[in-house]
Amino acid sequence: MSTRLFRLHVNGAVREVEASESATLLDVLRGPLALVGTKANCLEAECGVCTVLLDGRAVTSCLVLAAQCEDREVVTIEGLAEAGEPHPLQSAFLEHGAVQCGYCIPGMIMTAAGLLREKHDPDDEEIREAMAGTLCRCTGYGKIVAAIKAAARNMRQGR
Amino acid sequence: MHVHRATSVRQAATMMAALGAGARFLAGGTDLLIQLRRGALACDHLIDIGRIAGLDGIAIEGDAVRIGALTLHHAVERHAGFAGPLRSLIEASRVVGGWQVRNMATIGGNVANASPAADLVPVLLSLDATVELTGADETRRLPLPQFLLGPRRTAARRDEVLTACHFVPPAGRHATAFLKAGRRKAMEISIVNVAALLAVDDAGRCRSARIALGAVGPVAFRATDAETGLQGGPLSDEAFEEAGAAAAAASTPIADVRASAVYRRHLAARLTVKTLRLCRERLQEVA
Ligand SMILES: Cc1cc2nc3c(=O)[nH]c(=O)nc-3n(C[C@H](O)[C@H](O)[C@H](O)COP(=O)(O)OP(=O)(O)OC[C@H]3O[C@@H](n4cnc5c(N)ncnc54)[C@H](O)[C@@H]3O)c2cc1C
Repeated sequence: MSTRLFRLHVNGAVREVEASESATLLDVLRGPLALVGTKANCLEAECGVCTVLLDGRAVTSCLVLAAQCEDREVVTIEGLAEAGEPHPLQSAFLEHGAVQCGYCIPGMIMTAAGLLREKHDPDDEEIREAMAGTLCRCTGYGKIVAAIKAAARNMRQGR
Repeated sequence: MHVHRATSVRQAATMMAALGAGARFLAGGTDLLIQLRRGALACDHLIDIGRIAGLDGIAIEGDAVRIGALTLHHAVERHAGFAGPLRSLIEASRVVGGWQVRNMATIGGNVANASPAADLVPVLLSLDATVELTGADETRRLPLPQFLLGPRRTAARRDEVLTACHFVPPAGRHATAFLKAGRRKAMEISIVNVAALLAVDDAGRCRSARIALGAVGPVAFRATDAETGLQGGPLSDEAFEEAGAAAAAASTPIADVRASAVYRRHLAARLTVKTLRLCRERLQEVA
């Protein structure tokens, strides 16, 4: 298998990694970059646990090649906090008890982060539609939706 | 496997001509990468066309609409120009996979993939769309029905990139609708999908009807018998029932893990009727 050097922008830093030419972004994140907050599960974009932001948009990193990401901005769950402060979504998920086992939460939060970049005041319906491709098998989705709404409100108020 | 990035259509076509049978174009990758991973397909080279400038975007000039091949489902879903009579485009693109898939998957990929269940295909058929194909030496246009030859088979030559879909909505009052049936509401491959366009004259009679169905045959198709039956007549429930029956009769569904053939045929009729009723409602909105 042929490998090559990829130059990626991840969480604000330029990272150079050696990986197989056919490596996915997920492979590179969890492998050489050791950013294991992004989970690997179905590998077919059905479950959403591997969601990251690519140029500000939520995508499933299992279905993007590292080769497709060069010169583009990648943000993972590890890169969401700013200056040591949790992102408003992270705080709201804690406050609302939106987390049970936690496995899907990085994907949930990154999907929501993509939504909130586009819509600052989404209603329940818009949140549910955006989150439909990100599955949680522990809880209902009620608290997750409530947490996203609260985070959106806090972000609008500049908190 | 090697991944090559093309920076122009011409370059992509030339690369394809040089690399031969073991190469594939890669757009959003949401279908191709899964097929490769499942071993349903093998290839030695991927030619990444995803960042060729000018291949994405929606342009509406006068009546003519051009949807660039790299346009994301996400962009179609949000396009203000489609919020009126062309609403079926929004309805179809917003049910393709989940939010993340729609941020990667392209309209060109949906069409070029030639899946019988592709959701944008019936809509584009109902809009009488043509596909623009660009090879190393020339650009040509083909009506969509001539492009789609069978499951995962198209009339594109090896080096041809699908560069855009074009259509011109009919003059006068018209409305469109798209409906799909799946096992759940989100993230579902269609069991049956139906797109329709109805155009009416001042008296409210049907000037033209276009009905297209997917997932009930080897390729999505126009139900021409159903269309002819509506032409020139009133948009009545009875006429719609007849159109539904004709659409079901034109269907040749398979049975698979998602649905039996009998159920698919039943849905072909019912969804056709429902889609036509939606068009009728929408015609009244604009009246
Ligand atoms: C979880 C999930 C859910 C999905 N749900 C749906 C759904 O509900 N409805 C639906 O219709 N589809 C669905 N899909 C399928 C897929 O996302 C769409 O068909 C999508 O539009 C394909 O576009 P792409 O850019 O990703 O294509 P790719 O995967 O990049 O390409 C698909 C095929 O088309 C060829 N190709 C792509 N672009 C061009 C071009 N411009 N010129 C020539 N050849 C080209 C490629 O070589 C390949 O053979 C789903 C996929 C996933 C992963």
